[in-house]
Order: sequence, then C-alpha cells, then structure tokens
Amino acid sequence: MNRKITRGAIGAALLAMLAACGNTGSEGSISGMFATALKQSAARMRGEEAKVAPAPDPSAMAAEALRVNPGPLILVGLERMGTTQVLAMTGQNAGQRTYMTKNEQALIMRDGMLVGTRGLGNDLSVAEMSGSSALIRSGRSGQARRVMRYWTGDGLERPLSLDCTIGPGAKAGTIVESCQNGPLNIQNNYIVQGGRVTVSRQWIGPNLGYVTIQELRP
Amino acid sequence: MRAHSTLTRRLLASALPVALLIGQDAAPGRADPLIGRTIGAYGLPGAIDTPTAEMLPDSTLGATVAYSNMARRNSIVFQALPRLTVVLRYSRVESTEERRGYIWDRSFDLRYQFLDEDPNSWRPAVAIGLQDFLGTGIFSAEYLVATKTINPRLRISAGLGWGRLAQQGSIGNPFGHRPDPDDEEGGKPNVDQWFRGDVAPFVSASWQATDNIYLTAEYSGDRYACETGDTEDCPRTPWLSDEDELKNRLNLGLTYQIGQNYQLTGYVLGGKQLGVQFTVAMDPRQSPFPSGTEKAPAPVRPRVARNADPEGWSGAWSADPTAHPAIQKALGDALADEGQVLESMALDANRAEVRIRNNRYIQQAEAIGRTARLMTRALPPSVETLVITSSQDGMPTSSVTLRRSDVERLENTEASQISEAAVLSSADPRPGNLVYTPGLFPRFSWSLRPYVSTSLFDPDEPFRYEVGAQLSGEYELMPGLILSGSVRQRAFGNKDQDAPGSLTVGEYKALDTDYNSNGVPRVRSDSRMYSGDKGPTVPRLTLAWYAKPTEDIYSRVTVGLLERAFGGVSGEVLWWPSNSRLALGAEINRVKKRDFRDVFGFRDYEVTTGHVSAYYDFQNGISTQLDIGKYLAGDKGATLTVTREFANGWRVGAWVTKTDMSTEDFGEGSFDKGVTLSIPLAWGTGQPSLRRVGGNIRSLSRDGGTRVSVRGRLYDTIRDSQSGQINQGWGRFWR
Repeated sequence: MNRKITRGAIGAALLAMLAACGNTGSEGSISGMFATALKQSAARMRGEEAKVAPAPDPSAMAAEALRVNPGPLILVGLERMGTTQVLAMTGQNAGQRTYMTKNEQALIMRDGMLVGTRGLGNDLSVAEMSGSSALIRSGRSGQARRVMRYWTGDGLERPLSLDCTIGPGAKAGTIVESCQNGPLNIQNNYIVQGGRVTVSRQWIGPNLGYVTIQELRP
Repeated sequence: MRAHSTLTRRLLASALPVALLIGQDAAPGRADPLIGRTIGAYGLPGAIDTPTAEMLPDSTLGATVAYSNMARRNSIVFQALPRLTVVLRYSRVESTEERRGYIWDRSFDLRYQFLDEDPNSWRPAVAIGLQDFLGTGIFSAEYLVATKTINPRLRISAGLGWGRLAQQGSIGNPFGHRPDPDDEEGGKPNVDQWFRGDVAPFVSASWQATDNIYLTAEYSGDRYACETGDTEDCPRTPWLSDEDELKNRLNLGLTYQIGQNYQLTGYVLGGKQLGVQFTVAMDPRQSPFPSGTEKAPAPVRPRVARNADPEGWSGAWSADPTAHPAIQKALGDALADEGQVLESMALDANRAEVRIRNNRYIQQAEAIGRTARLMTRALPPSVETLVITSSQDGMPTSSVTLRRSDVERLENTEASQISEAAVLSSADPRPGNLVYTPGLFPRFSWSLRPYVSTSLFDPDEPFRYEVGAQLSGEYELMPGLILSGSVRQRAFGNKDQDAPGSLTVGEYKALDTDYNSNGVPRVRSDSRMYSGDKGPTVPRLTLAWYAKPTEDIYSRVTVGLLERAFGGVSGEVLWWPSNSRLALGAEINRVKKRDFRDVFGFRDYEVTTGHVSAYYDFQNGISTQLDIGKYLAGDKGATLTVTREFANGWRVGAWVTKTDMSTEDFGEGSFDKGVTLSIPLAWGTGQPSLRRVGGNIRSLSRDGGTRVSVRGRLYDTIRDSQSGQINQGWGRFWR
C-alpha cells in the first residue's frame, strides 16, 4: 500500500514537472490555467496579496509619458479597479481615436467622449451619444438619448438605452449628463475646452463603473 | 470564497447586470415564464418531493445532489427552452436483484409550462410534467400543477399527481388501471403508464423568510412505499427496502441560497426521515468576462487622400513583383500575432483575398473582424474589395466579402451595420491567383501534457479515472493532408482492465470471442478491456485528407487507428453551401476491432458501417441531425440529435438511436441515448481559446447503435465558419 502511494506521488510530481510543453502554444491550455490558479492561491496563502506595489505617482507617470511619446496621450483612471494609466493614441479614423495601454487594452474616444473599451473583460462595444455630445461640447442644456451596447456572456451585443439630461454642473465650467433607465442612475461629468472634452468622469458600464479621463496632449 | 481556486471562482462567478441588459430586449408586455426560487429533491424547481409549475431562467444548467436515507439522487437539469425543463438523473435504488444490493438507476424528466402566470389576475402558471418516464421507472410519476405568487414572499402550488405521487390519498383513477412497470430491459418510454392509475392531489407553499432563506412545506402523495417495505403499494418487489415508515404526509424544508449559484437545503420527510441536498446552477449567458479579456484589436487605418499617394491609389504598385510577397509577409506576421494563420492570399490592384485559419477565437466573426482591420493597415489604397475566407484543416469554407470603405466607415458601430454590409458566400475551392504563404507547409506541431481520463456512472465504481502523460503530434504535409496521433503513458488511476459481465479478464481472454452469448458482436461492451494498460498506448494514429472538390462539397478520407477500439478506413462527403441551413452528408467506414494490448494488432471482428445524414439549423440556435445507416455491430437504424447552441459557443444536446437490434440483444436500456455538453473554456476564463470542456453522458454503453468515433467529421469541422454560426456571432466583429 505504502509503495503504491509513493509511486502515485512521484507520478504526480513528474506530471507537474512536465506540465505542458510543445510548439502548439499553451494558449488557453487547461493545465496551464490550473497552474496559474494554483500559483495564485498559493501566493494568497502566503499573504503575498497584501504586498501591493506602491502606486506610481500619476503626475510623474504623465511627465514620463509626455517625454517618451510624441503623440496624443490621455491619463485614465479606472475607479473600481483603482488603476491609473497613460494611454497613447494608436489610430484615428474620422474623428474617432483609439488609445491603448502598453498591454493593449484600449479606450475609444470621439471628441473626448467615451465611445468604447476593449480588453477589459466587461467591455463597452459602442456608445451612441451624438445628441449628448453635441449639447455637451456646445455648452447647452437639454435632453438626449444615449444607447450603450455591451457584449454579453451569451456572445451577443446587447443595447442599454438611457435617457439623459444635460446641464451645467455645481462647479463653474463643468457640465453634467445625468442618465436614467429604471433603477439605474448614472452621472457623467465633463470639462469642455475648444469644442472637445478635455477632462471627464464617464460611466463605462454596470461592471466597470466610472473612468476618469484627462487629456495630456491633444 | 477563499476555498475556491481562481479558476472555479471565475467559472462560477456571474455578472448580475446582464439581467439588466437582457431586460432591455424584452418586448413590453411579453409574458415570461414563472421562474423558480428553490430546487426540489428531483433537481427541478419545486418544493421537496412535489413539483411546482416553475421554470429556471432560459438555458440554465444545474446539478443537484440530494441525499436521504430513502434516496440518493444526482440530477442534471437544463432549461432547454424558456418553457421546457429537462432532467437527467442518476439515483441509487435498492434492488434485491443485484448481488451488491442496489443499482444506479438513470431516469429522465420533462416539464412544460404551458400557461403563464398573470400577475394582475388570479391566473396561475400551469405546467405538465413527466417524471422518470423512460425505463424501469421507480420514480415514475406524472403531474399537472399550478403555481401562484400570492405576494413577493409567498408562493402556493397545487396539483394532481399520478404514479409515485399518488401512493396515498387517491381520489380515483380517471384514465384506468396503471400497468406494472417494465421489468425487462427498460429504457423505453413507458407510455402505457402515463396518467394511468390512482390520482392524488398535492399542495406546497414556499415562503421567502429573508434574502437568502426559504421555508417550504408540502403535502405529498409519495409515501416511499418501496423504500419502507410496503409490499402492497410498491410496484416491484426487487425495490423493497425496510426504512422506517413516514408518520404523515407533511414534508418541511429550509433552503439557504449561497451567492447566485449555490443552494443548500435540509428537509424532514413525514416527520421521520431527514434529507439534505446541494445545488449548483450556471447560466450560459452570464459569463464572468462577457467580452473576453483578449487584447484590443489594432484599429482600422483609413486611407490617405488620393493626392497624397497617387501611385497607391492608381494600382500601379501591383505591377511590381515584389509588392505581393512583401504585403503577404507583413499581413501574415500581423495575423500570427492575432492567433490567425494566413494560409494563402490573392492580390490584385483592387481586390484582396486572404485565407485564414482561426486558432484563437470561438466566434469566427471576431477572427474575421480582426483580419479585416489588419487588411486596412496592410493593403495599398487602391484595394477596395476585401475577401476573408475561413479555412478549416485546409478546406476553404465561407468567404466574407467587404468593401474597404464600409470597414472604414463602420468601425466600432453597432454590429448589425457591418453584418448588413458584408456578403457571405461559399468559398471558391481553387481560385487562380492564390499564393500560399511560403514556409507554412509542411507544418509540424507537437505537445506533451498531462491527461485525465474519467469514466462515470459505473454501478460498481461510479468514478473511475486515469492520470498520465500524453504526447501528441501533427504533421501537415500539404494543406488538408494531415498525419496525426498521440501516445499515452498511464501514471496512476483506478481505471483497470475489466471484462464484460461477470467474467474475469483471464476468462474473457480465454474465450477468445468477439460476440456475446446472444451472438451480438462486442463492439463497446468490452471497452474496459482496453483500460489499465501499464505500458504506452496509442489511442489514435491517422492520416487524414480533407478536401473541397466543388464550391459546396467537402470530403474527408481517414485511415489508420481511428480510435482506441477500431482501426481502418473512413470516408465522408458533405454537401453544404455556406448560406444553407440544410446540409447533407454520407459516410462509409471499413473497420477492424483493435487488439486490447498490442498497439498495431487487430482482433477478428471486421465490419463495414455507413450513414447518410441530414443536418438542419433552425435559426434560433437549435439544430438537428438525422443519421440513417448501419452501426458498428451491424445493426441498422437511425440517430436523431437535437442541439441547442449559443453564440458564445455553449452546446447542449441530446440524441437517441434506435436500430433493428432487438431490445433483448441490446440489453439494459433497450436503445442508445444520451446528452452532450460542450462549454468553451474562454467563457469561464475570459482568455481567448478554442478549447472546450465537456463530453457525452450516455445512459448506457452497449453494443447496439454505436458508431466508430473518428476525429474530424466534416460537419463539426466546418460548422463554426458557415453562415449559421457567423450570423449568430456578428456581434463580436468589432471586438
């Protein structure tokens, strides 16, 4: 009995050692993911989770990015994840700009208004908000309808429509867009300069919550 | 939640606001089925032993383990349609016919809610149900039940039950005498019993005490006659057992809801017997990472103005012989970064066609969308027509034709716009100017990784497993001609070699026959003779040739060791225009049974099998397949498969096979049937991958109605890139 157990244990160890290898790529391999999951749980048990690297100073980060990258840049903070990153523009198509992080997560903007996100797991496919955008950028008050489309777990793209009221915010120079659909209430805040939004706090969606976006270089 | 690994947590976590999004779609005033709050002991929404008219949210998949002194029931439930619930159950039933004293009995249930509750009037939801309607039927019962929401916390159900639900409290037998249960091979619908015999009323109430505690009370007609040794009301003597009798007809339960996905229930039956059960339920529509966590696509690069690049716009570049190879190289490299292989490319001044193999995204539309964007970045401005052809194992399947100006104009808009602008057609099998990407073929890939092989539901040992290492290799000599195989080395496990019936391995070997005592060839019933090999085994080693002779016809020839138990030749043709919902196919195999141990050895049994098949895709994600032909044991018959498939790649299906093999020859179960489940790993992890988990659960593995399990059947190989799946998946084009 004892021998059998030992043999079993050795077998398991050998299997773990070989893990998965080959030239087909371990992309999405089950064993690879189990290994990652195990490592993460092990790390958590050792209390490594508590050791969070000190958050880099946003202004230092911005200064560094401005020095290295000659193109348009934005500073983006995801509130729910507590992250702040500089995104650089990687493409521009008829006024629509795609900004990306180093690890290729993207925000898609039009005149400083958020149009979509890519690579965040609960992405916004597209926000249709030309009515809101026109009011906000011209500094007028009014009503507009906004349609936000999301990828849902069933593999489809589904819309969420919101009825919005646009008007001046509490602080001078700010504009607030308040949107509603049933129990859902969100508020986007904007500062407009030269016909485009330069600083804002905008709602991405139910899971990602709000993002703050600041234009570093137009 | 600490107890879970990240993986399980990811698999089980769900994103609540999807309900909010899905709610947007619902047409106002459309009635929805009444959704259950607690799961009963049979694995469906219900009280404890009595049913309710409730459903689960559409497409929910769940599993329940219910355990009491009186019964052990393991159920898998699937909400197949918004108003149709199906259950496959695997229960331990006492049986004096077996030397081990019990059997593991499989049973199926159906429930259909045919009337919706009207929240503004007295009208309740009403459902009709069949419980354990196939086979030996120890739980067999039929019912008609109504459920009404009295207030947000309280629901009352009342109904009439037949069979097991009318073991006491009968108020008559309106449709005549209920015949005795089938005591032979089982497995067939016991139609002659449905709604026959005594009928008894039942009532239940479910009260939501707090956010996650539910209290249930029911007045049941099931008094566990067999389990408590009541010879008069137990339909079959072998099922008799001697547990304590219930004191009364009242059952009480308490359910605790843990998060969104789990439920724990404890209950008291008749003031006497205790039971507990645990349920886990998942909704395929609620993925933890609905959009996936794959990196952002490279954005469209719009073309420069005409006067900024007159040469590019004029198409004069196409006269330069170095242009095409340079563009193909650049595009191929960019696609490789996206998990796509640029197999070949045709390029002229205003049209470009690329043939891609998608190795990364479950939804082909996502691969096509990313390819289209990369083409706008790589091609000179005069190229206006973009053709993206999907290739599967070297066979070009469908072509999506796009105008480059549409791709530029519609980038990141609602997906329906690009789907309307795109044209999907069957790919031309041999266009003249196609250039293969140099260096792709011959292509060799290999992998070495651990494997776990399990077999469930064996009555003697419900869980058998084997763990080891598997070396796989694939050598594609030219597109579509593929030599592939794998070698396994077992490390440990309890899947040992075993002979069929009560024979020992030695006795079975000494018999040296491939037929059972009824003269039926043993094609699957001795499959465990192949297990437990301590040395290396070769589960599969084949040379396959895939081709597309005409625009709408695909072909496959596979030779070699096709599967663990059979080797030989398999040939197949399939007619399937890319835009057609109907596909027709034919397959013929000449196979010989493999030796139990000797890798390249064969036994004496040899057979020719073949099928003609029809496939039809109903556009709401439901597809059917009908195969008619000759099976491995030489029996002739047909298989009907019905599958529900979601745009995210989830597949849940069921099949039945009926052949001319007599039920006596077939043995327990009477005919072959089962369910299949296939879940894309990306759904649970968010990381893009074509990998899937799942498998077949068949009610019994017998010799009748089984087919050779050859890899790469054409329909499954090309379905992801035909119109049905692409149209379902258009939403991912701009992901």
